[in-house]
Parts: sequence; structure tokens; C-alpha cells
Amino acid sequence: MFLALKEMRHSRTRFVMIGIILVLVSWLVFILSGLGNGLADLAASTFKNMNADYVVYQKGSKASMSKSLLSGGLKAELLTMPDVEAASPMGIIMGSAVRESGDPEENKVDIALVGIEPGSFLEPAVTEGTGLDAGEPNLAIVNETMKDEGFELGDTIVLDGAPASLTIVGFVKNQTYNHVPSVFIPIETWRQLAFAAPGSDKGLKDPVNAIMLQGKNIDPDAVSQRLPGTETVTRGQAIQGIAGYKEETGTIFMMLGFLFVISAFIVGVFFYVFTMQKSNQFGIMKAIGAKNGFLGKAVISQVFVLSLISIAVGILLTFGTAAVLPKGMPFKLETNWVVAYSLVLLAIALLSSLVSVRTIVKIDPLKALGRVES
Amino acid sequence: MTQGLEMRSVSKFYNAGSERITALDRVSVKVEPGEFVAVVGPSGSGKTTFLSIAGALLKPSEGEVILNGQNIAALPDRQLSDIRLREIGFIMQASNLVPYLNVLDQLLVVKRMAGKVASADRAFAAELLADLGLDKRMKNYPEELSGGEKQRVAIARALMNDPNVILADEPTASLDTKRAHEVVSLIARAVKTRRKAAIMVTHDERLLSYCDKVYRMEDGKLSLMESVPVHQIH
Repeated sequence: MFLALKEMRHSRTRFVMIGIILVLVSWLVFILSGLGNGLADLAASTFKNMNADYVVYQKGSKASMSKSLLSGGLKAELLTMPDVEAASPMGIIMGSAVRESGDPEENKVDIALVGIEPGSFLEPAVTEGTGLDAGEPNLAIVNETMKDEGFELGDTIVLDGAPASLTIVGFVKNQTYNHVPSVFIPIETWRQLAFAAPGSDKGLKDPVNAIMLQGKNIDPDAVSQRLPGTETVTRGQAIQGIAGYKEETGTIFMMLGFLFVISAFIVGVFFYVFTMQKSNQFGIMKAIGAKNGFLGKAVISQVFVLSLISIAVGILLTFGTAAVLPKGMPFKLETNWVVAYSLVLLAIALLSSLVSVRTIVKIDPLKALGRVES
Repeated sequence: MTQGLEMRSVSKFYNAGSERITALDRVSVKVEPGEFVAVVGPSGSGKTTFLSIAGALLKPSEGEVILNGQNIAALPDRQLSDIRLREIGFIMQASNLVPYLNVLDQLLVVKRMAGKVASADRAFAAELLADLGLDKRMKNYPEELSGGEKQRVAIARALMNDPNVILADEPTASLDTKRAHEVVSLIARAVKTRRKAAIMVTHDERLLSYCDKVYRMEDGKLSLMESVPVHQIH
């Protein structure tokens, strides 16, 4: 630490410069991770926050709500199976809504209409207003981001292309699907909207997209076997099955991966070149008795201090950025991820500094002598 | 037990292609504590190889290097670096200070290599520096020092771990005559007062008068020069 800090203080400019690059890299890593989280939430928060463990889909639907069609009647049979504690059907269609205000130019909003059984474990808790009522088919609870679009409790939403209108009785938090706010309605109402066209229900009785199950010990294979024509997946797999979800998060993770590799090379190459420049100096120190460990430790502590400070500054800048980002931006910083990525960045920096340590080990202390003659 | 440094019939061979080059040819020399020995000779005569072996930087092909009664010729690298740290003080050319350490830290880093710096070490470093007339320069960096001052720091650094042997590699290179005399007389004084066995490799024949014995190195062979006028200049 002694050599490391003395040198950093003495050669401030070059360490500040490399530090700035590391700050930018870590800043970008945290912003990307925030964006990735935000986007993933926007795409799937209704599923992520759903109080279910397994999802039963139609076979061949690849865990996608939009591809799957089942009879709601399967619920009764599922409930008889071992380890199934609760079962409830769900259906989702995309739609657009407009507030009934008498203004013909009122803005439309995209929504996901989520049909559930009122009072079931699939109904999220409201943060404002009241919940759904099984006896009232036209009540809806909606994600609170719709407030930003001007919707209020008691407002009536008119659905585009359907004769139905819904009344907002409650707001829920963190409920979005496919990047748009979720609107929860009773499953019967949903059925009327989803299968308005004759024959679109394929003749199924009480058609739904999927049936959600509660029960930690459910064996998905047993369920699939018992009910031919179905496939049962975990909630995590169901999230992966949401259209575009994998591609979106995959893109973000790929960028993060590249950033990690880039940061490894930045740190590795910088310290390698720096070490090469100082090889004579290291030779002298070895000649007067410095061990490889002593010099190696100096380089590693420099990398450690530099990375730690840079990452800390990167985190501060990221929180600053989060504060000024527009509200609608899908940006969500999670402390766990910030900590995890910080540790990854730090570990990568330390690992890449080992190249320099190896260089130091190879430096021959003989370099220090006889330079007049050479 | 032999104090100081003794080399017994030390040879060093290099393989250059199909040829075997003899860099040192059965060199024997003994330096007692308090004795200041110079080695002169033309470029390529083997002076540097000689100093490298004496300084535990290079292992001889044959022969024994006895430091304080211990044969260090066959020790592994890790122990050699310990020997260099504890038993040998190197004085190298002017530019061989660590650029980002101030004068005091140049000395203390030697203690750091061995472990911790105690307050007694600080006092000893300050004493050494004062002894060499550097007490006003303790907080200066090498770039702020003159060539002569840098060499005085190097002398202090070589003495910091209280080694038994002092090895100087062209300590007066790039110094003018006045500074060169100053530096070598300081080395000579330290060798006498602190009872070190010292070897200086040099081109500079003006400075041999400070040395007790002068050896000439030629084609890897070391021979004592009898005709050197000792202590004439004083």
C-alpha cells in the first residue's frame, strides 16, 4: 500500500485519467443494469410480482400467454392434484383505452387487459381504492402509472374496438405487461372481450390463456402428464416466455458483458504498459532486496484503490442520473445488482492486474547493474 | 567465521550459440570489514558479472561466494533476495532512485521490504541522511536533487539495513570531478566508520586513491594491482 499510494499521489495525472475511463465504464454498467431492470419490469412485472409458483400452458405454446389457449375447466382437476395448493386462471390481451371525457380528441393509451378471478391470489393488492368485485363485471383495477396519463379513481375507460367500458375502482403498483400498464378485470369480462369474434375460442369451454398454480413442491412433469395437451413451467420460465423478454434482456446482458471485457482490457493494458515502463525501476528495487510479492502487492493495491474509487464515483453518478431521468423512463436501480456489478468490476480489474504481476515476476534484477557499459 | 565477503575460485560461463564464453575465470578475492576495494577494467572484462555474483544477483557456474560465513552460491532466488535485502547495500548509478518517493522514503522503503517501519528506523534514516549532509533535503523528490545529492541518497539507502557488504556500481558515472571525489570519499568514510566490506566497480581511475586495494579485471581474470599509490591525495 505504501508504494502504491505514494506513486498514485506523485503521478496523479495518469491515474486520474485511467480513473476517469473506469468511472465512465462503471457508470455505463450501472445505467445499463438500471435500464435492463426497468425494461424487464416493464415487460413482465405483472408476472414477476404474481403470487404464483407454476403456470400451466397449452402444449406447444412455449410458455407464451398469447400463444396458449386452455379451458378454464382444468382448474378443478388441477386442484385435485398433489402439492397444488391453489389454482386460478388468467388471460391477457393487449388493447387500447381512452378516458371517457366527452372530448373526441382524448389521448389513447396502450393497456394489457388481464382477466383474473376477483378475490383470487392473482389479484394484486390495491394501493388506493378498492379491489375487484365478482358481482360487478365492469370494474377494473389498473396500474398506477395510468395516473400520469390523467386517469383517476372513478373514471370510466372506453376500450377501443369493443363496446365495453370499465370503471377504475383501484390502483395497483408495479403491474405492467409487455411494456404497458396492466388493467385487471374479472375473467368473464375478459372472455367477452378476448373472444368477441365467433369461433375464436376454438370451441373451448371457459377459455383462458393459462392457469396459475400455487404450491412450492409441484412436479411440473406430473402435471403435464396428467393433463395431456398442457405444459407446466415455473413462473421464472413463464417470464422468459413473454414475447421479446429474452431478446430485450439478452441485448442488455450482451452489452454488459462487452463492458466487463472492455474494462478488463483497459485496466490490464494500462497497468501492463505502465509496468513495462517501470521495469527498470522494478529491477532496481529487486536488486536492493524487494521480493516479487512486495512489488506485486503494490500494483494490485493500486488497481484496487483505483477501481474502488472509480466504481464509487460511478455509483454516485448513476444515482445522480437516476434523479434527473424523465419519469416515464424504464429505469430501476436495484441495490443487489449495483453491489453485484461493482464486485464483478472490481474482481475483473484485480484479475487483469495479474498480467502486470506476472511481468514483474519476470523482471530480472540484473537490469539494475552495469548500465554504463550497455 | 569469515566476516565480510569472500569469493573462492568463482567462474561464470555463458553459452552463446555453440561457443562457451567465460565471463569470470576462477576469481578469488577476500574483502574484510572496513576494507574498501576497487575493481577496474575495460568494458566487457567481466566487472558487472563479478559485481552481480558478489551481490547475489547472479549465481556462479563454479566456486563459492561466502558472505558472513555462509555460502550463497547455490541458494534459491527467494533467499537470495533476502540476502540482498539484509546483507548487501547497493549503490548504483545516479538515476537509480525511485522517482515518486522523497528522500526519507527512499530509505524507509528498504525497511518496508523487510516488514514494518519502526520509529527507531526513522531515527536511523534521519541520522544517516544528516551524516551525509542531506538533513535539509529529506522531503525532496529525486527530480529536485543534484546528481551528487542523488548519489548521497543512494549511499544512505545502501546503509539503511545495516548490511555487511557495500557494492558500488559505477557510483560516479555522470558526476563531475568535484562531486565524484565527494561521493567516493563519503563511501570510503562510511566503510571505515561503519566497518563494512566494500567493493566499487569503476572506470574512474582518479578515485582509486580512496581504496585500500585495487584489482584489475581483464578477460574474466582478476588480479591485484600492486603499484597503486594509496591515500596520496589526502
